[in-house]
Amino acid sequence: MVIVLFFVALLAFVLMRLSPGDPVRMYLPEDAPEAAVEEMREKLGLNEPYVTQFFRYINDLLHGDLGTSITYRKAIWPMILERLPTTAKITLGTVVVGLLISIPLGIIAGVNQGGPIDLFAMFFALLGQSMSIVWLGILLVFVFSVILGWLPAMGDKGFVFYILPSLTLGYPMAAQITRLGRSGMVDVLHEDFIAATRAKGIPDYLVYSKYAFKNALIPIITQMGLTIGTYLSGSVVVEQIFGMAGIGQLLFTAVGNRDYPLVQSLLVFSAAVFVIVNLIVDIINSIVDPRIKLE
Amino acid sequence: MKKLLLKRMLKSAFFVVGLLTTLFILVMVLFAPAITPYEPNQNSLTERLQPPDWSQGFDGHLFGTDNMGRDLFSRVLYGGRSSFFIAFTSTLLSAALGILLGLIAGYYGGIADVIISRLCDIFIAIPSLVMGIVVSALFGVSKINLIGVMIATSWIKYTKIGRNNVVVARSMEYVHASKVLGASSWRIMIREIFPNVTTPLLIQVSQGIGSIIILESTLSFLNLGIQPPDPSWGNMITNGRNFMATHPWMVLAPGCALMLTVMAFNFLGDGLRDVMDPKRN
Amino acid sequence: MEKLLEVTDLRVQFKTERSIVNAVNGVNLTIHKSESLGLVGEAGAGKTTTAMAILNQLANNGKVLSGDIRFKGESVFKMPKRQLQKIRGDKISMIFQNPLTSLNPVFTVGEQIAMVLRHHKKMSAKEAREATKELLKAVSIPEYRINDYPIQFSGGMRQRVGIAAGVACNPELIIADEPTTALDVTIQAQILELLKKMQQDYNTSLLMITHNLGIISELCERVAVMYAGRIIEYGTAKEVFRSPLHPYTQGLLGALPTLDDQKERLTAIPGRVANPQNLPDGCRFHPRCQHCMEQCTHLAPIMRKINEDHYVECFYAEESEK
Repeated sequence: MVIVLFFVALLAFVLMRLSPGDPVRMYLPEDAPEAAVEEMREKLGLNEPYVTQFFRYINDLLHGDLGTSITYRKAIWPMILERLPTTAKITLGTVVVGLLISIPLGIIAGVNQGGPIDLFAMFFALLGQSMSIVWLGILLVFVFSVILGWLPAMGDKGFVFYILPSLTLGYPMAAQITRLGRSGMVDVLHEDFIAATRAKGIPDYLVYSKYAFKNALIPIITQMGLTIGTYLSGSVVVEQIFGMAGIGQLLFTAVGNRDYPLVQSLLVFSAAVFVIVNLIVDIINSIVDPRIKLE
Repeated sequence: MKKLLLKRMLKSAFFVVGLLTTLFILVMVLFAPAITPYEPNQNSLTERLQPPDWSQGFDGHLFGTDNMGRDLFSRVLYGGRSSFFIAFTSTLLSAALGILLGLIAGYYGGIADVIISRLCDIFIAIPSLVMGIVVSALFGVSKINLIGVMIATSWIKYTKIGRNNVVVARSMEYVHASKVLGASSWRIMIREIFPNVTTPLLIQVSQGIGSIIILESTLSFLNLGIQPPDPSWGNMITNGRNFMATHPWMVLAPGCALMLTVMAFNFLGDGLRDVMDPKRN
Repeated sequence: MEKLLEVTDLRVQFKTERSIVNAVNGVNLTIHKSESLGLVGEAGAGKTTTAMAILNQLANNGKVLSGDIRFKGESVFKMPKRQLQKIRGDKISMIFQNPLTSLNPVFTVGEQIAMVLRHHKKMSAKEAREATKELLKAVSIPEYRINDYPIQFSGGMRQRVGIAAGVACNPELIIADEPTTALDVTIQAQILELLKKMQQDYNTSLLMITHNLGIISELCERVAVMYAGRIIEYGTAKEVFRSPLHPYTQGLLGALPTLDDQKERLTAIPGRVANPQNLPDGCRFHPRCQHCMEQCTHLAPIMRKINEDHYVECFYAEESEK
């Protein structure tokens, strides 16, 4: 786990250093004299050999110091914290939207295999997986903002502003969960123990929603872990489309400005979130399914 | 066996619809120069912001024009060309790379397996879009770089296919038998294990193309993909966004094209899975 | 004796992607109160299908073509679902063949026993838990394991859990579908002992499905021999084993090694088991029968009473008994 983070940091570091573009030059005005550039470079520690830079960075990380942004000249960790709530709220909204319809739909579809609800669910899921977040977001804005005027198109200062972004990211997630739920149910329903449960006279609704579903739950939980863990991805796009000041937008600007420390720390932070989320998922999975052993 | 496949193919609505739509789109896109008289980058001051016009058949502006007077239908078709080029090339390359790595990891085990598995873990931890943004922004936006990004984000799924099948197949009797008879490792890998890979591979490829097209259009939307004035459905959306309230077709045309194309591939992928592995249905 | 379960001319068919399977082809069976009946036959004879049909729980691609099954006079195919579900697990319960797959892996064994108590006996969670502990004790599983999961048990112990769930509501009929086939011989004996005890303690009827004749002689008063979806011989176990009339039954018994007999070779029944996708004409067994007569190839024999305790469906047997 820690190794993964280490390598993410390394990867980020290497990528940034390899790429053309000099953060110092980007930061200073165009006509800045060579001396000033050199001075700034020294100040930022960018004139040292790469290896030294890297280990200094790792050392800082281990002490909880995520560095200072070149562009904003502020400490990075507080910057992340400041923007975290927005992105977190979007992620939360996404999860709610993602689970609300998909779980019941997936269960019913799996039970009614081949029936009308199943076909609807399959179509619903396919459509959701075929939607680019970009297109979905813009389409939603078009319908709900431009045509109907019900919801705001931009901004992040209030609950209403989070509805469309949550729908935008939530629908593809719901699509995935519906599929997983459906195929999970279909698989489980063929198992001997379900026949045994039915033979005990347990009513159908319980057989499906309790005894069968719990078996289908594990891939769903795992998938949710992956989706939440990669929240940053969706955030970048959504924050761009809906003009929200979150971590995604921060990353986007940072990359454009070649702000090495900011990009590196954002990537490491993002990977750390991913790792933690997956750890939680593993723990939950081992509770739900006793056959899974925690390592 | 073949007859059974054919029967299933015809029975699967997803497969039929997916295949036909995909073929239709591919044909349209391939024969773009023959279909539309307009050049995608052809500006025209007089024809700016025209609504869709179906009265003149293919000679008219079927999807209207954008703010620079360029014909949207032609831009959609040509944009599709770029997207498909990138999608097919990168899918092919990442599948080849991924499967190879997977086979190696699975077959030789040991340190090769450890290294490759760790690599997978690392790459999974970085979401594809983020990786795409970072690489595109840093290294510039040529088509080669785009393909590189796509490969970097998708090779993992193919590695899993390769590796899983080796692990399963290895324990099977016929691999042991081959080895005893003196077949070399490569031979075993190719002849015994590879055929089991084709089903999940085909399915993954048809689903993978859809996601690559989406990724490319998202990057283009963020101006990190195909650069204007060259059309891509993504950058057409970026451009058209500003005119959405008054001239919605500028956004709807590329958006719908994107959606329908990916849907077609996903239908095909699902249909393929139904046909080849029906017990899942 | 009071009739508990009556199966009349049951015919069941399954449709797969490739073919049609005629699993059960006119089965007649009666089980009386407190009676134990053994249903014997090879794999594919239609035993499990018959069992599932009794609970009206055939797989989706299965269809009852004709015939009826009556439990205490009421048809299981015609009764409303609620009533059927009341019977399942409560009046008729089933013990499945494979203990490794017949328990739900993500629920505790306690839950899988308590669920029937809560549902059928309307017990509260606490009451059900206490009752479950008693049941576990009865099947020789330590009480404290009530919160353990199936994965933590061996095959034999899992089967005992299955038995505990099966007797929990004191059913009138237990259907045991090859309950020991997947188990070690030594464990088999324990499970059979347990079943015997349960049957005696609770005075339940038992339908014992197996391909093992030894088990029948241990547990069952009556036996029905099944071949290609039909019952071809029926009677008390004593009678049938003492003097088997159908060539198939004779073959089955002849295939058993015994310690006291002076046999030099075990008889094997030639040929292969009838394929339910492609059944022979006339008597289903005729291709493999050494006593096959001309009429056997195109006429199907019907069940004839030989004496009070013995019925058989075979032209040759009829002839020899005359």
